[in-house]
Amino acid sequence: MPNDYDKGAYPEPPRQTPVIDKQTALPNPALILSQVFYYTVDLPVTTFRDAVDSIRSKNKQVYYHQKFRRVPDLTECQEGDYVCYYEAEMQWRRDYKVDQEIVKVIQERMRACHQREGASYEQNCAKEIQQFNEVTKNFMSRYGDLGAYASGRKCLMKQKERMLAAQAQSA
Amino acid sequence: MVGMSLLKSAAAFAARLSLPKSGSTAANLLTRTIPRTDKVAVRWGHGKKMFVIKPSDYYDRRFLRLVQYYVLLTGIPVAILITGVNIFIGEAELAEIPEGYEPEHWEYYKHPITRWIARNLYDSPVKDYEKMMAAVQIEKEKADMRITQLEARREMRHAGDGPWFQIPTLNKELIDSSPKAKPDH
Repeated sequence: MPNDYDKGAYPEPPRQTPVIDKQTALPNPALILSQVFYYTVDLPVTTFRDAVDSIRSKNKQVYYHQKFRRVPDLTECQEGDYVCYYEAEMQWRRDYKVDQEIVKVIQERMRACHQREGASYEQNCAKEIQQFNEVTKNFMSRYGDLGAYASGRKCLMKQKERMLAAQAQSA
Repeated sequence: MVGMSLLKSAAAFAARLSLPKSGSTAANLLTRTIPRTDKVAVRWGHGKKMFVIKPSDYYDRRFLRLVQYYVLLTGIPVAILITGVNIFIGEAELAEIPEGYEPEHWEYYKHPITRWIARNLYDSPVKDYEKMMAAVQIEKEKADMRITQLEARREMRHAGDGPWFQIPTLNKELIDSSPKAKPDH
């Protein structure tokens, strides 16, 4: 079966199932429905999955996440060295994708927390919400409004503008 | 026989002349087999359809049949192939890169068909990267050469001591500067 999700990142609240104290002779419809669901849906699906897994286990294959070496940045390239520009640009694009995925992970955590807590999410998920706000603010300040033709040079110029604004504000 | 038919037609004629009421038995006895066509109730709409008139749908049905045929001609083998690959080979699992091992470029993909395409049909991304860098380097060298050529042109035109921008003139040793007989020669 596929791996379960990371329990540390999406913690479940403690279970609050009450002790079953049956005082009537009538059957419990919830129990009956859960049994029906188990025998009609869960069991066939699990047996099919186990059968397919036993066939697949003969041809097991693995895949890896690629690790890229760090190359000199755009600021460390000589002027006119277009090969260096190209490598820096590719590295910047990979970093952009990584940052997008980071924002997606943080967003997913906040949404999971919201779903778990229900109506009281503002109070109980304050940490996740604050983390999400901070991460999106930083992402927008670095990559926001660069547009579809974003490149490392444009991002560098945006950083320069940010630094100028900070200097003008502090001075 | 002929007499019977004469009698029957005479009785029918008599019955048609007199308008028989529904209860009169004499007229009914004689005219039972002859229906009166001007007073029969005619009902359209909920009877069984005996002849439906509509335009031909032969061409439409032929088109749809041919569409089904040509789509399924390659659709079914492709569906069988993909189902077989998913059931018998299955997707790869994520693992850490072992120490000192450099994975091949197709081992970075999950689905077996993607891995096959990356292994047999595509170049490795490292090769693509190097190809792009080679193209960039060639273009850079071309641009540099064009710039130096322009600079050389400018310098040679300005200084005039290079092999370019030489205007051929007559050989000065052919000029005869000895004094002549007449002043205009």
